[in-house]
Amino acid sequence: MSIILQARNLSKYYQMGEVTVEALKGVDFDVFEGEFVVVLGPSGSGKSTMLNMIGGMDAANAGEMYFKGKPLHGASEKVLTQYRRDAIGFVFQFYNLMPNLTALENVKLSVEIAKSPLNVTEVLEEVGLLDRADHFPAQMSGGQQQRVAIARAIAKNPEILLCDEPTGALDLSTGMQVLKLLRKFNETHHKTVIIITHNAGIAQMADRVFYIKDGRLDKIEVIEHPLSPEEVSW
Amino acid sequence: MLWRKMLRDLRENKTAYIACTIVIAIGLMVFTSMSIVIDNLNNAKNEFYDTYHFADVFIKVKSIPHTQVKQLKNIEGVDRVQGRLVRDVRVLKENSDKNIYLRLVSVDLKEEEPLNGVHQLAGFPLTSGEKNIWIGSKFFEANSLTMGHELFVLVDGKKMKLTVVGTGQSPEFVYAMQNVQNLFPDPEAFDIAYMPYEDMEVLFANSGMVNDIVLTLQPGYTLKDIENKLEDRLKKYGLASMVEQKDQLSNVMLTEEFKQLESTVRSVPILFLLIAALILYIMLKRLVEQQRGQIGTLKAFGYGQKEILIHYLSYGGLIGFAGGVMGGIFGSLLSESYTQIYQTFFNLPTLKNTFSPKYFFMGILLSMVCSLIAGFQGSKGVMKLQPADAMRPSTPMFGKKVWIERSTLIWETLTVQGKMAIRNISRNKGRSFFTFIGIMVTFAMIATMWSFQDLIDLMVTDQFTKVQTHDVKITFTRPLPMEQVMRELESKKGVKRVEAMLEVPVTFKNTYRKKDVMVVGLPQDSILYNILDEKENRIVLPKEGAVLAQSIADSLGVSVGDTLHMESPWAKEDILYVNVVAVIPQYLGSNVYMEQNALSQLLRQPKVATSLLLSMEETFIKALKKEYNTSETVASFEQNKQMVEKFQELVGSFAYMIWVMAVMAMVTGFAIVYNSSIISLAERKRELASLRVLGMTPREVLEVISFEQWTIGVVAMVAGVPLTYLLKQSMASSMSNDLYSMPVSTGASSFLVASLGTAVAMIIAQLSVARKIKKLDLVEVLKERD
Ligand SMILES: Nc1ncnc2c1ncn2[C@@H]1O[C@H](COP(=O)(O)OP(=O)(O)OP(=O)(O)O)[C@@H](O)[C@H]1O
Ligand SMILES: [Mg+2]
Repeated sequence: MSIILQARNLSKYYQMGEVTVEALKGVDFDVFEGEFVVVLGPSGSGKSTMLNMIGGMDAANAGEMYFKGKPLHGASEKVLTQYRRDAIGFVFQFYNLMPNLTALENVKLSVEIAKSPLNVTEVLEEVGLLDRADHFPAQMSGGQQQRVAIARAIAKNPEILLCDEPTGALDLSTGMQVLKLLRKFNETHHKTVIIITHNAGIAQMADRVFYIKDGRLDKIEVIEHPLSPEEVSW
Repeated sequence: MLWRKMLRDLRENKTAYIACTIVIAIGLMVFTSMSIVIDNLNNAKNEFYDTYHFADVFIKVKSIPHTQVKQLKNIEGVDRVQGRLVRDVRVLKENSDKNIYLRLVSVDLKEEEPLNGVHQLAGFPLTSGEKNIWIGSKFFEANSLTMGHELFVLVDGKKMKLTVVGTGQSPEFVYAMQNVQNLFPDPEAFDIAYMPYEDMEVLFANSGMVNDIVLTLQPGYTLKDIENKLEDRLKKYGLASMVEQKDQLSNVMLTEEFKQLESTVRSVPILFLLIAALILYIMLKRLVEQQRGQIGTLKAFGYGQKEILIHYLSYGGLIGFAGGVMGGIFGSLLSESYTQIYQTFFNLPTLKNTFSPKYFFMGILLSMVCSLIAGFQGSKGVMKLQPADAMRPSTPMFGKKVWIERSTLIWETLTVQGKMAIRNISRNKGRSFFTFIGIMVTFAMIATMWSFQDLIDLMVTDQFTKVQTHDVKITFTRPLPMEQVMRELESKKGVKRVEAMLEVPVTFKNTYRKKDVMVVGLPQDSILYNILDEKENRIVLPKEGAVLAQSIADSLGVSVGDTLHMESPWAKEDILYVNVVAVIPQYLGSNVYMEQNALSQLLRQPKVATSLLLSMEETFIKALKKEYNTSETVASFEQNKQMVEKFQELVGSFAYMIWVMAVMAMVTGFAIVYNSSIISLAERKRELASLRVLGMTPREVLEVISFEQWTIGVVAMVAGVPLTYLLKQSMASSMSNDLYSMPVSTGASSFLVASLGTAVAMIIAQLSVARKIKKLDLVEVLKERD
């Protein structure tokens, strides 16, 4: 398996007047193509910070970061935009759908700028929302909205799918549905998926689990036999 | 505590609120300063008119003995009467091609409180016997004269020397123009000179005679009451005209100028306050929407409806107050320099600036009321919120399709950004409307301003290149036998064509309406003075009847086919009848035209000419001028080319003003588009940031906002076209008078320029928004829940 992401001594700190908050204190890791990675850690440990840097949404203060061997650290805003456009799919905890676009249009929106997008209707069918294609976000439940958000992210057919607590706002069964979708995308399209969660149970379905603690990568656990979403205990 | 919250809230969006305050301040600055200036001017005018006994009635006659004038006092209603000699003379200036004239007005040195008294500005008192004069200070300056300067003038063909001993100003000539055709005072070429009656009497060999009468009326009387009696008495002395104070040229111009100032005072601040109110309304509405959670929390604490409403109202109140105070202070300061400018313009000796607390507080009140109303409208939504509801996020306004979606054909051609944009328009109707109004007004303002360019072309250039196509016009001091003078000039070197012109002062009457006008008699086949219809086709003068300028037809209330009563001091009979055969647009001046012979026959006069129009070779003009300049029968020698140059100079300074106004309109447009984009940006931060995360470039994200604006913009510009006509219509009706009438037609080029100007304003606004989008902190925006 080839390496898709490489981080070396990745660091991020926030200057708050006198105080410096070190959100990420030199992290090293590799992520392989087609891998399913779960990032676990207590609140405030630096998970989101790390994911944002992987997604090219934020620049590191120190350290290096490579996507397929190409450096992202110190890259221009233009390069980062192109990277997000072509390689990254993002799923947020609070969906962040366009309120004035229907489900279908929300997905189309991301397809319009993608290089090799998937078929929009097929993706919507995959997330089981074809019958809701004409609904606006306000007319859908949280789980449905999150599935639209996932459809929006995967329809772009990105190399890496990044999810920051995708099930955080959902109940058990809807959360499960969402996880299944992510897993399916990972398996059928052989794309890398990185999920942040608080929920240790979810870690059971990963190939590898990154444990973050206090801004450091504490430990990486390799799961020999990942469970399917149904088998995960919450 | 809430105060502190307010101040912090204000600080958070300081640019927008400061912009709003400045807009208010500008509006009130105009209001305060102009109001003060108008008061100053009115006070000064009234004081000047009062102190120097501005007459109520102005009468011109051919010649009347002084003693007869005194008799007029017996007429019931007449208060004081004075006779004067008034004569225009040409000033002889070496090495100057220009025609310079002075109007000599006699003053009675024995009279202690003369009517139309002359206020001495500088120099020495007038004394008789030495041909001393006082002269208008502007002429004095424009021609760089000094006290004791000797002027040479032409009196009945003879060269005479006058000595300037001082400068003076009378209420009669605050606005000194030789005649209505001049439009603007030209102090280098014309002004008033005041001379003791004793000297003028000798100079013009007019012993004991006067040709001009001024009188004041007893309270409660108007000219109408005594008109007939005056006419009866003066007829035999060659009554030429009788004008009331309200129609007196200088007074008319002054009133007109004040009227325009007043309309500025009324419209400009209102426009600015309206824009400010709209900005405030939108900002507060959004603030309340954004702070639903906070409002809910406050309510849950136990804050009352009223307290919270007052809290949000205080935003508006504070801004209104700040804007009002700023506007008041700067306005009061500005009024000082404005007054000075008007002082150099009008020469009202009693003009001075006074601070007026009235307008200062009125301004603050106006701005506070305006801001509070806007604030209330924006924040009244607070009252409807239940604490529990308030803490829940606001229910999105989405779920409905827009009408345009029903037309699938158009809808499907749009990109998704386009679709977002279209839906956004209905998402916040208030703001879309604001943007719409802003762009429409900007467009209409630029178009109106720019169309003045065409308008000047129509009014001025056309007048001199299409209507008055002669090269030279020679005006006589008195009517001369037509054939004889024509023959004389035809024989001159370089003269290609000579046409005679007969200008007769008449009074037209239609039932109760009455109008004094100049009837211009022209040959039927005239090619040196063309009468054009609205399509600029030449009208051949009919053998009978008159062609009227539109403004005259309007004020007499007649149209083609009607018959008018006509009276003229030149006519042998008292009342004549004349048919209206055509009505034409005339933008510069307003005349009535008749065929020459028809006019002479109507008046039962032999064929005479009051002036000649010449077409001639350029190189010979100078020689001809030299030959006739000193002739006693020649009153003026005008070259068309010089007139055109003079007007073009004037147009040049006007074009500069047009530019300034157009740029101001663009700045307004920019402010409005920018403001509405900034609000959109703040409101949709999350959406826009999400788009950026999806991998859209800032430019693509901007498209969502700009597409929305362009859609509104295009519709607004289309709506700006009728608004332009409306604006011009109202300007035309408020500005047209006997001197000029404004055409309402607007050329396509103005609309093109307006579209361009509006587009530029929008693009500049969008570019600055693009910068903000680039700086959007993705992580920050997407972290929190909305
Ligand atoms: N913009 C910021 N300014 C200052 N400090 C910040 C900022 N963003 C994050 N931090 C700090 O960086 C640290 C890591 O934050 P991060 O959001 O990565 O945590 P997290 O692991 O995602 O937590 P959670 O599970 O609660 O989402 C925290 O201590 C946080 O206070
Ligand atoms: Mg987080």
